[in-house]
Amino acid sequence: MDLKQLRAEAAAHFNEHGFPTTKEELWRFTDVSAVANAEFTSVWKPAEVEHTALSKIIVVFENGKLSHEKSNLENLPAGVSVGSIMDRADGRLGTLADSQSAFVSANTAYFSDGAFIAVADGVELETPIHLVFLADADGAAIHVRNFISCGNGAKVAVVEEYIGKTNTSYWSNAVTEVFVADHGSVDHYKIQRESKEAFHFQTLEAHTGTNAVFSNHSVTLGSKLGRNDIRGKLMGEGGEMICNGLYLLKDRQIFDTHMFMDHAVPKCNSHELYKGILDDKARAVFCGRILVQQDAQQTDAVQSNKNLLLSRTAKINSLPQLEIYADDVKCTHGATVGQLDDESLFYMQTRGIDPVRAHAMLTFAFANEVLDEVICQPAKEYIEKLIHEWLEEVSA
Amino acid sequence: MALLEIKNLHATVADKPILKGVNLTVNLGEVHALMGPNGSGKSTLSNVLAGNEAYEKTDGQILLDGKDIEDLAAHERACAGMFLAFQYPVEIPGISNMYFLKAAINAIRKSQGRDQLDAMDFLQLVDEKKEVVHIREDLLARAVNSGFSGGEKKRNEIFQMAMLEPRLGILDETDSGLDIDALKVVADGVNALRSPDRGFLVITHYQRLLDYIVPDRVHVLVDGQIVKSGGKELALELESEGYASWAVAEGA
Repeated sequence: MDLKQLRAEAAAHFNEHGFPTTKEELWRFTDVSAVANAEFTSVWKPAEVEHTALSKIIVVFENGKLSHEKSNLENLPAGVSVGSIMDRADGRLGTLADSQSAFVSANTAYFSDGAFIAVADGVELETPIHLVFLADADGAAIHVRNFISCGNGAKVAVVEEYIGKTNTSYWSNAVTEVFVADHGSVDHYKIQRESKEAFHFQTLEAHTGTNAVFSNHSVTLGSKLGRNDIRGKLMGEGGEMICNGLYLLKDRQIFDTHMFMDHAVPKCNSHELYKGILDDKARAVFCGRILVQQDAQQTDAVQSNKNLLLSRTAKINSLPQLEIYADDVKCTHGATVGQLDDESLFYMQTRGIDPVRAHAMLTFAFANEVLDEVICQPAKEYIEKLIHEWLEEVSA
Repeated sequence: MALLEIKNLHATVADKPILKGVNLTVNLGEVHALMGPNGSGKSTLSNVLAGNEAYEKTDGQILLDGKDIEDLAAHERACAGMFLAFQYPVEIPGISNMYFLKAAINAIRKSQGRDQLDAMDFLQLVDEKKEVVHIREDLLARAVNSGFSGGEKKRNEIFQMAMLEPRLGILDETDSGLDIDALKVVADGVNALRSPDRGFLVITHYQRLLDYIVPDRVHVLVDGQIVKSGGKELALELESEGYASWAVAEGA
């Protein structure tokens, strides 16, 4: 199917089905009627939003359109292709993301731009690729579509960052599809710092080949209503997925993470550690589904969701789900909700650290555990800085 | 000179009386062993001394260097020179051992009006002190006690003590769960820290630790009271006779 036809069909699907309601199982805890009832337009204008470059390879989008002025795509190494998705054609585009999803359909039908990244077989790119999506267009629907292809034995790190201007209201609806060929490795980060008045939805779909690795760290601080749909499919033996995440929410923010790990073949690992800190009347949803198909013997799947509630009015719905059809597997999952541990606070105090500092250190540590496996140093340092800033805001 | 004086100490846990009038003095340069059966109040004593708010002191006095520490919170007691090596050291994922120790040392130094240690000085101190307990380099970079074996955790406690250089070291059943090699390493670490201007209270259920950390005085705690004190030979006596005679006497 060519892209034109795909988009036409997606538009038809979206127009026919519209947005999901809370009557649908996958949307039980997240009411998107605020998005459904709002009117959005397409506004393409430069965005006046600050950003910090995390790499010398940077692609900046302003309200859904690539800005050549703010991007730097010079001196790309041989075998590395980075640019606008509108300039490339890859037959696999649109074949991964769930076409039944309203948000994916809307994106497929209406995406205005997005990043295209292809790393050729055997090419190991040391420099991360920083994708920055700036938004400040009030009332805009911003659909960006990203496509990442990592060749056989290739290696690449990609940081997707969404930044919105304070107090602007828009709908950011992104889809990212990732193919990791045999023995390839994609180290992916998603940092969401949308406006606290904005809606943000993203579907991230990754497929791994034999002995391929996909890792994702999703950090959410922004949007008033948002959701990440993270879907991994392990298609080749020996594949590995690490999908960790952190949501730091306050005021009346609502953020939903829906994770789906599909083990289709034997001897694959998937590890997920999701942590959240919630203050005020914030609410989070974590739904992690692991499917181990009949052929997927010797699967090792671990999922954990831990939450720290800083107020009595914050709320979390955590729903781990295991669906196992193979008999020789190792699968564990767990969810916790709580406050800081008194024993740890006492332990730190006995070493001379005052309670306020101990509290701050423990809260930071709680969040920071998610970054334990991060190897991309600029991303790690940047996320740590964001966590510190958030904690300072909360304790102020 | 008296480093630690405990006078008629009474304490409760969840309103249940545990300590019922403990009297004990540790002088500078001395090592005192506190022995007793399970449930006698040994761990309660160490927690009350360290300022754990889950334990309530209902009567009596605790003096450190002649000063009543009643009003000092746990961190202030640490800054005043007290160190508790935990029976069950807490795992703190997300905070590296090094970061934790640097925060601790600098908090204590700050309270004493001393300059903060910079990264270089701190690393130099780590290099010097890690020899004391032969702690593995990779454990220092890892999160505090996270995934450490029982022995590694205890060793880390002694390493922290070496780094923080307290006036008073309280070891709460540091020997529990250790094999003989780990026990020797821990004991060597403590012995290396013995000095005329430092004292220790070594709490233990078993005599074997005292083969390696030879105490100046031994006290026997039974049902919240010290029922006998003596020299190091008292520990051997307990080893052969057990605590039964005291426990029965108390129950009678």
